[in-house]
Amino acid sequence: MSDVSVVSTFSSDDECAQAILSLEHARMQGYRAFFPFPSEKILEANTHVRRLPRSPVRLWVLLGGITGFLSAIALTVGTSWEWNLYTGGKPIASIPPYIIIMFELMILIGGLAGITGFFFHSNLPAFESEAGYNPRFGGSKFGLVIRCEEAEAAGIESLMRDAGAEDIQREA
Amino acid sequence: MAAAVETNIPPTYVDIDRSVQRALAPGGLKYWLWVLFCAFLTALGIGFWTNQIYKGLGVTGLTEPTMWAPYITNFVFWVGIAHSGTLISAILFLFRSRWRTAVYRLAETMTVFAVATAGLFPLIHLGRVWFFYWCVPYPNQRYLQPDFRSPLVWDFFAISTYLTISTLFLFMGLIPDVANARDVATGWRKTLYSILAFGWQGTDRQWRNFSMGYLLLAGFATPLVLSVHSVVSWDFAMTQLPGWHSTIFAPYFVAGAIFSGCGLVLTLIIPVRRLLHLEDVVTIWHLDNLAKVVLLTSLIVSYSYACESFMVWYSQDPIEIVTFNQRYFGPQGYLFWIMVTCNCLIPLLLFVPRIRTNVIWLFIISIFVNIGMWLERFVIIAGSLATSTEPSQWRFYTPQVTEIVLTVASFGWFLMNFSLFAKFMPIVSMTELKEGISWLRQAVRETYPYRKAA
Repeated sequence: MSDVSVVSTFSSDDECAQAILSLEHARMQGYRAFFPFPSEKILEANTHVRRLPRSPVRLWVLLGGITGFLSAIALTVGTSWEWNLYTGGKPIASIPPYIIIMFELMILIGGLAGITGFFFHSNLPAFESEAGYNPRFGGSKFGLVIRCEEAEAAGIESLMRDAGAEDIQREA
Repeated sequence: MAAAVETNIPPTYVDIDRSVQRALAPGGLKYWLWVLFCAFLTALGIGFWTNQIYKGLGVTGLTEPTMWAPYITNFVFWVGIAHSGTLISAILFLFRSRWRTAVYRLAETMTVFAVATAGLFPLIHLGRVWFFYWCVPYPNQRYLQPDFRSPLVWDFFAISTYLTISTLFLFMGLIPDVANARDVATGWRKTLYSILAFGWQGTDRQWRNFSMGYLLLAGFATPLVLSVHSVVSWDFAMTQLPGWHSTIFAPYFVAGAIFSGCGLVLTLIIPVRRLLHLEDVVTIWHLDNLAKVVLLTSLIVSYSYACESFMVWYSQDPIEIVTFNQRYFGPQGYLFWIMVTCNCLIPLLLFVPRIRTNVIWLFIISIFVNIGMWLERFVIIAGSLATSTEPSQWRFYTPQVTEIVLTVASFGWFLMNFSLFAKFMPIVSMTELKEGISWLRQAVRETYPYRKAA
């Protein structure tokens, strides 16, 4: 049973990524990394250690885009059939000009769905701080919070120190 | 794995935070006087608009055949201004351009407020604005047929989508920076930033979804930016009117939009970096690159002018020739030549590196670009309409005080919103500057010789 958190602070994303990779050897997946910008190194290390698939946000965007496209077909073609006035000798439902509406609604609904997916999968809005969060992690430092059993804590701290942690604290 | 980033070479992460957060310090008396002045212009515009609503469009100089003049010019101008924001934030993001990081937030902010300003002008132009919803293309019970074949309906969808996506893009990028500001803010600002940050803490899970969402939004915004100004150009090009009916309009308008938008980014960023003390993060190197984009798009716009004229001459269509003859040498031909001077000749100065790296020159050139691009839209819109019919019915538009005040008020409205945003929200992205800190350091290094030369 995990009962302590080891909070390590790093001054660079290289060190933080290295620390995450070192957790793989220790078979530790119960960690949370905090970093001030989307560091590719940390994201790659995290994906590698946790064997993560690509973010599900892309599926939201895909489904939103398809929904928007289909909605635009329904809106344009459906409305034209309902108001079936011949103008300029053109067909009632003339697809080429409708493609513009389809494109715009595909982007609109896809974008809105993407933002919704981002919020949903990122647990936002979050009303409580994650354990171990420190405001420094939003500014200039990189944090790694590892939940482990107290007996494992010393080993974890050693790993973090080897990876270059400048500060290590143990929290209940 | 890439080489490790040194953490102790200036500017450091802390330096970036300090520079950007310093800009969020409460504004002084001069700042509030400026905001008040912009608010006064806005209020003046509201007053004149109210008068126009009460008395009708007769208070303007709009009359047959020139029913589209400064209001639609302002609409196209502000939509065009918006485009560089998306170019810098989305398109250059996809291309991993190094210099965009310091200027993209300002450009995005400009985009959102410019589209919001542009959206007002079709309403102002309507006259009976309370019937605006009659124009909204949805199936209804009023025997009004929403004609999805009309470019004006395309425009409605394009502008609405563009405003929404631009706002989302700005909002999403702001979240990590607002969270950063939240962690150091106090008082009501902390409350404001806490609400807008949505509890963001920069966890691996949040960044993973953020990166994907932001990338896809940028991917969506890129074709959108091209489509929107193409659609705006088709408001004109799809008609049979000489001077408007041209296949070159879509790319020509897109290039012009990016040109004018980058011009306004320069106009805004030069005072902003000085007044908010952002010289350390928005360096001369960034301005130099922005100036290169202005120069490139100026050349494209100049080429478009030449192509347009060549096509008219080559077609030997007598009506087109008369229209363009009037455009160049008619009673308002001087506007065309001012436009050419501002858009084609003055930007050529940017070929000189010393001018590209001198903020005063850049600022002056950017003002000329803004004037030139406003005139371009006016010449195309009002000039073509004035000579579109039988010569006996030709009438050149003469502005009245209402249109002049509303045009000036649109700048007041835009600058008021922009100034408030710049003081209350991080106007430079701390997140992306940190991500590309090695590039920023290079920029600071490359800036030094310029400073020395100056």
